[in-house]
Formats: sequence, C-alpha cells, structure tokens
Amino acid sequence: MSVEGLAWVGSEFPGSPKTQKLDSGSLSETLRRKSVAVYTNKMCLLKEGVVRGLGMATWDRPREAKPAVEGEPPLPTGRELAEANRFAYAALYGISLSQLFPEPEQSSFCTEFMAGLVKWLELSETVLPTMTAFANGLGGEGADVFVEILLKDPILKKDPLVITQDLLSFSLKDGRYDARARVLVCRMNSLLQVPLEELDFLEETFLESLKETKEEESETAEASRKKKENRRKWKRYLLIGLATVGGGTVIGVTGGLAAPLVAAGAATIIGSAGAAALGSVAGIAVMTSLFGAAGAGLTGYKMKKRVGAIEEFTFLPLTEGRQLHITIAITGWLASGKYRTFSAPWAALARSREQYCLAWEAKYLMELGNALETILSGLANMVAQEALKYTVLSGIVAALTWPASLLAVANVIDNPWGVCLHRSAEVGKHLAHILLSRQQGQRPVSLIGFSLGARVIYFCLQEMAQEKDCQGIIEDVILLGAPVEGDAKHWEPFRKVVSGRIINGYCRGDWLLSFVYRTSSVQLRVAGLQPVQLQDRRVENVDLSSVVSGHLDYAKQMDIILKAVGIRTKPGWDEKGLLLAPGSLPQEEPRQAAATPSSAETSHQAGRTQGPTPEDASKVAMSVNSSQAQVSAGLDRPEGASLPEAASPAESSHICSHGMDPNPLGCPDCANNIQEPCPGLD
Amino acid sequence: MDEDVLTTLKILIIGESGVGKSSLLLRFTDDTFDPELAATIGVDFKVKTISVDGNKAKLAIWDTAGQERFRTLTPSYYRGAQGVILVYDVTRRDTFVKLDNWLNELETYCTRNDIVNMLVGNKIDKENREVDRNEGLKFARKHSMLFIEASAKTCDGVQCAFEELVEKIIQTPGLWESETQNKGVKLSHREEGHGGGACGGYCSVL
Repeated sequence: MSVEGLAWVGSEFPGSPKTQKLDSGSLSETLRRKSVAVYTNKMCLLKEGVVRGLGMATWDRPREAKPAVEGEPPLPTGRELAEANRFAYAALYGISLSQLFPEPEQSSFCTEFMAGLVKWLELSETVLPTMTAFANGLGGEGADVFVEILLKDPILKKDPLVITQDLLSFSLKDGRYDARARVLVCRMNSLLQVPLEELDFLEETFLESLKETKEEESETAEASRKKKENRRKWKRYLLIGLATVGGGTVIGVTGGLAAPLVAAGAATIIGSAGAAALGSVAGIAVMTSLFGAAGAGLTGYKMKKRVGAIEEFTFLPLTEGRQLHITIAITGWLASGKYRTFSAPWAALARSREQYCLAWEAKYLMELGNALETILSGLANMVAQEALKYTVLSGIVAALTWPASLLAVANVIDNPWGVCLHRSAEVGKHLAHILLSRQQGQRPVSLIGFSLGARVIYFCLQEMAQEKDCQGIIEDVILLGAPVEGDAKHWEPFRKVVSGRIINGYCRGDWLLSFVYRTSSVQLRVAGLQPVQLQDRRVENVDLSSVVSGHLDYAKQMDIILKAVGIRTKPGWDEKGLLLAPGSLPQEEPRQAAATPSSAETSHQAGRTQGPTPEDASKVAMSVNSSQAQVSAGLDRPEGASLPEAASPAESSHICSHGMDPNPLGCPDCANNIQEPCPGLD
Repeated sequence: MDEDVLTTLKILIIGESGVGKSSLLLRFTDDTFDPELAATIGVDFKVKTISVDGNKAKLAIWDTAGQERFRTLTPSYYRGAQGVILVYDVTRRDTFVKLDNWLNELETYCTRNDIVNMLVGNKIDKENREVDRNEGLKFARKHSMLFIEASAKTCDGVQCAFEELVEKIIQTPGLWESETQNKGVKLSHREEGHGGGACGGYCSVL
C-alpha cells in the first residue's frame, strides 16, 4: 500500500503533478546522472529484447528531465491531466485494446501495454486490476462516457493533441514502434476526434527534431518566427519525452553512423548527462533499433544468394523521406511503355513518407504483362470484352462459356501466369522472413499490392503466421485483385499477423482473373473476384467493380483505387497524375536521376510529398515549374494538356496553406518555413 | 468452470466517499478487512462466482469511487448494470441524506428501469449510530429497494446482501435472460447474413 500516498496527494490538489515536478527539479545533478547511467545499462538489455516492460524503470523519468528546458513552460502531457481524466484516458485505452485485439494470443500484449500505460500516467497501481478488466473486454459500455470526459478536459480543449503525443511517446518509449501500438493510437485519435494527419505530423516532427539536432545551436541563435518556435517546442517535448526515457531512445534517422552527431545535438537540449548515454555504444545500438540495421534498412538489403527459385528481390525507394512507419508496394506485372517499371503504378501512393516498392522477378513479370496485353489485343473487339465482363459478372463461369478466340490464345497466358504464380509465392515467403528479421527496423509496415503483388502479400502473411513473433509488425495490408484463395479459413491466420486493416479489393467482372482460374474457379473462391467472408474487424472488402473493368486496370487506375479503398494519395495527383507520370517527361529525368541515382521516377513523388528540406523544396519547385513550363509550351501529351490550368493553382494554394510543404510559387509566407536545415542527408 | 455458470451479472456499488463500499466488496470477494483502506481511484473491479438457489452466477462487480473528483467517471459504469448496491454509513447522517442525489443519478444514467437496487447501511459495528434501522427501511421501501444493514468489519450481512441481490435479479424476468437472448439473436443474424449472401449469388444467376 505504499502507493496510496501518491494517490492521496493527487486527490487533494488536482495540479499536484506540477508540484512534484518542481521538487524533482531540485534533485542534485549527480543523482540524475546516476539514474541515466543505470538506465543506459537497461538499454543494452533492451536491445536484445530482454527487457520489455521497461515502463517500470522509466515512468518517472520525463519528469526529472523537464527542468533541463530552461525558460520554457513544460508542455502539457498526459500526466498533467487531473487524476480522474488520466483514469478515463487509461480506461479508454484499455477498452480500445480489448476492442481491437480481443484474440486470446494478444492478451499478454494487452496486459503488458495496459500496465505500462498505468505507470506512464503515474496512476496508482491499485487501478491495475480494473484496467486489466477493461483491457480484457469488460466495461466497454462506458467508452463514450470516457470520451466525453476527456473531451471536456480543459487541457485537452486547449490542445487536443496532448493525448496523441503522449501516446506516441508512450508507444516509442522503449525504442520500438509496435504496429499494434500505432493502430491503437489511430483508434484513440478517432475516438477523441483528432484527425489522423495530426499523428503523421507528430511522427514527422519527432523525426525532424532528430535531423535538426546538429544545427540546433545556430538555429537558436536566429530569431525564429513564432510559429516555428512553437513547432520546436513540440519537438523538444518529443525529444525529451523519448530521449530521457533512456537517454538512448533517440533514433538515428541517418543511421548508426550519424548517431554520435545526433547525440551531440541532443546534448544541447537535454543536458550533458543524457548525452553521455546517447553517445554510448548502447545508445547507438538502440538508435538503430527503430530504423533497422546500420540505417540502411530495406534498401540496403541484398539477397546474398539465390533463395529458392527467386532470381530478383530488391527494395526500391519510392520516396526519400523517413517515417516512423513504412509502406511497401508490390507490383503485380510489368508491361511495355508507361508501366515498365515497378514503381510506375504507385506514383500516387502517399500512405507514408517512407515508401518502397519491391522489385521482384522482372523478367517473368514482364513476360506476363506482355501476355496479358497480347490477350487484350487478341480481343480487340471491345464488345467482346464487355460481353465477357458481364458473363463473368453473372456468375456463370464454366470452361464452356469462354469464347473460342480467347481459348485460342490461352497458351500465351497460361505458362507465364503459372510461372509467376509459383514465383510470387516464393517471393512472399522470402519477404516474410525479411520482415520477421526486422530489416526494416522496429516500426510498423504496411503492404499494398495488386494482382500477383497481392499474392506475394498473401504468402508473406501466410508464412509470417507460422512464426511465433509475427505480431506487431504488419499494420495494414491491401490486396487488390488478388489471385489467391478467398476462403475465410485461409485468411483466418492473418488476424494474428495484421494489426490494422486487411483490405481485399475485388472486382466481380474481372474476366481475366476468372479466365486464368477457369479450370478451377468453379470450386475455388478467388479473393480478387469476390469478398472474403471473414468476420473480423480487420477485414474490409471493397468492391472495385465500378472502378476496375479488367485486370489490367489495377495498375492503370491505381490512384482511383487507392482513393476507393481509403489510402491517402498525393494531393492534386488525380489532375496532374498523367502529366507528371514517370516516363512522360523524359527531358526531366537526368536532373532527377542526379538526386536519386536508384530510381529516376521515384524522386518525382518524393519531391511532391516531402517535408521542408531545402533539397526537396527546390526539387518540387523545379518539377512543378518545369511541368508548368511544358504545359504552357504546349505539351504533346493530350491528357496532360487538358487540365493544367485548373490543377496548378489548386495545388500551390494547398501547399502554402499547410505552411510546411515546399513553396513552389515563392510565396513569401512559406519561404521562411522551408529554410530548415537538413543535416546528415548529404 | 465457466460452463455451469448460469449468467454473468454486472453489479455496481455506489455511495458517498468513505461509507465502506470497497470494504464491503473486499469482505465479500476476499473475506478480508483493512481499516486503513485507501480511497478508490476511478473504479475498482472484482469478479466472484456465487451460487444462489443452485444457480451459479458470475458477478462482475464495479466498485466506484465516492470522491467528488471521480464523480465524472461514474456514469460510464451504470450502463448494462443489472444490480446496484447503494451504500450509506449508519454513523454519518450526511451520507444517508445524500442518498437522494445518488438515486437521481441512478435514474439519469441507468439504461433500464427494471434494475434491482439494494440499500446497504454499513458500519453497524460502530456505536455512534446516527441513522436508525427503521429510517433506512422506510427509505428503501419508498424507493422499492432491497434493504439490509451490514458491517464489513464484522462480516455481518455482507454475504447476505450480495446473495439477496443476485437472487432478486435472477427472479426478475427479462433482466438477465435478455443478455443471453440478445446473443442468440446476434448469432442468428450472422447466419442470416450468410444466407443473404448465397441468395445474392442466386439472383445474379437468374
């Protein structure tokens, strides 16, 4: 009952956490130094994944660190809420846990997280049984009352982001970002009516703070504008909330090599004691934890030897940014022309600032793409195609109904299709092991793929489901037109692997998919043709029949499909997508290629969504300006020329209103915002 | 163990701060008594299975905090409760006077009106009694509640209070069965959904 004292103190004065903080501020420097040193040892263990319930040792740390920020009032954190509201906050978290992860195999995670949060919020341990009850699905009836209570809180009313940022620091406190934790933060956000963008923004802010630490001193010398000042406060908060938690949780954005620099910068903020921990070997080790080995992450992954039957397997960056969660896009086939590269269909994808696409078996995918096109040209008659579509739609799929003209070219497709089916399964299994070994770092991954790319994901999930530690890696998966089993029982194990959503985008009129499955589709339920009847909150079946008229449309209509399934796309892309599509502006490629040697196409999109780094800003300015110049000069692409006037102003205004995106049109307001330095990237 | 449990009942304990709600619960679930028990934070939760008239019932008991600063949280527990134990301290008249407030709150936040209420006058082991047994009885009758006087310290009437409450709940038709019936409906809904899907397939063939 030693905790009672704490509870009682809080009861008499709602603002008591503050008083406590002042007290701890007067702690002698040596004491603090000692505690950080002790903590560093803990972090060594953490790196091995031994100490997971670190919350116990860390929950009182941020309080101690606060005094290090001089002259600035501490930003409100979850701990500053009144006790009743902290209780409501924790209870809501528990209820969300139980609603999101009711599976028995997740119960240990739920309990652990719940206990961690109770400590994090400095709630008395006597509430633990109750919180565990909430996390086990009891008392969920009261969720909306808790939400109401929290929304009425004066601190939250002033700044609704308090809980979001508090949860973010809580989720990151031991140097790993569990996919389930992110799903939870998203859930809490939606419960508390905070837009999801704010979470992205906070994650970004956190990362930027790391990028900027090197330049921190010179920057403080500048008289910065007020808005910028505010943002810095946020960053500081995040840095302090995290860095002090172990003196080591600060992550090396630039990878292990740059970690000492990060530490040096952080020292200016959190004082020498913390920096000592940061610079230590253990600190660096933890820094690499979130972002994968040596900062190289996925792009650094090289298939050392041929694995199984796989000939090609590399990750190409789609964007240049760094983000606390990543997205891997997997292309289903390659074609000649615009869609000859793996990254081409994903031009509009903007799910996170760090996106990769998987390059696999280009040779076979190209063959398949050509075969698909051959079939299409063989059925040049659109009427025949439409007829086919409706035949498939009506559900009469028997071998006999296929037109003779199609059957005549069947051999063209059957062989490459068969090869690719086999290869995609192999690639999926390989991908699973890469993700399981955390090449991407300790952060959530989302997978999106169409056609055979979706099949890669399917097999990746299947392989992961067989492993013990498969939980908390995958956030969302999006399978579009997947040539895989659509039976619920085959999808059942995925619930264990996927923390967020499982989206199955299907098209009932996909005659091509029906055709390649013609021999077996009578008894086989193909996921790309019909909904997956799995009763789970994760599974979302999206009927894309109105968007996709044939299998080949999955690549061509990707931007619309992404919107239909609720994945963020790049602003203004729908209007300018065709204009700026990779390959359509060949004269621009050399310059872009200089910026990103790995892939000329990707730098386009990178520039369009990147944060305020000068390189990005100039790039966007370049790309936007050049595209406009081409438009005014009369571009030979008719689809591009049709929309430019409408599109450009809309886009530029959008950028300026954000105040944090690059400034293509030289708006003086925004110009000040984009001059933030970006060390470590060169 | 769960198989022979007839039903799970949600019981709520409310009342002014310091009347002994947590002590009553602790005596009932763990058969212990701590005179220095700390104030509850938010809500406390305990589960206990008891057998009444040969029927086993699992009780999920939510013990709310009486302190004013946690009052905002209380409404969240009323929902779905089948029984409410309203506690006052026989040695403190103010806790008895404030019962009306609690009844008001009960009425405001309870989702059903056939909920079983029980009034418990606690701390009868103490000598400086301020509220007479008859007063309590009268109040309980007026508001059609069960009534018992108890002492968490001496274990007087504690077991009885919970048993009586559960018995009454089980005797009340529609109060606890509805829960299981609802589940049944849900299940058949799901099956209907499946049937509907199959039907949809049919239609498109036609």
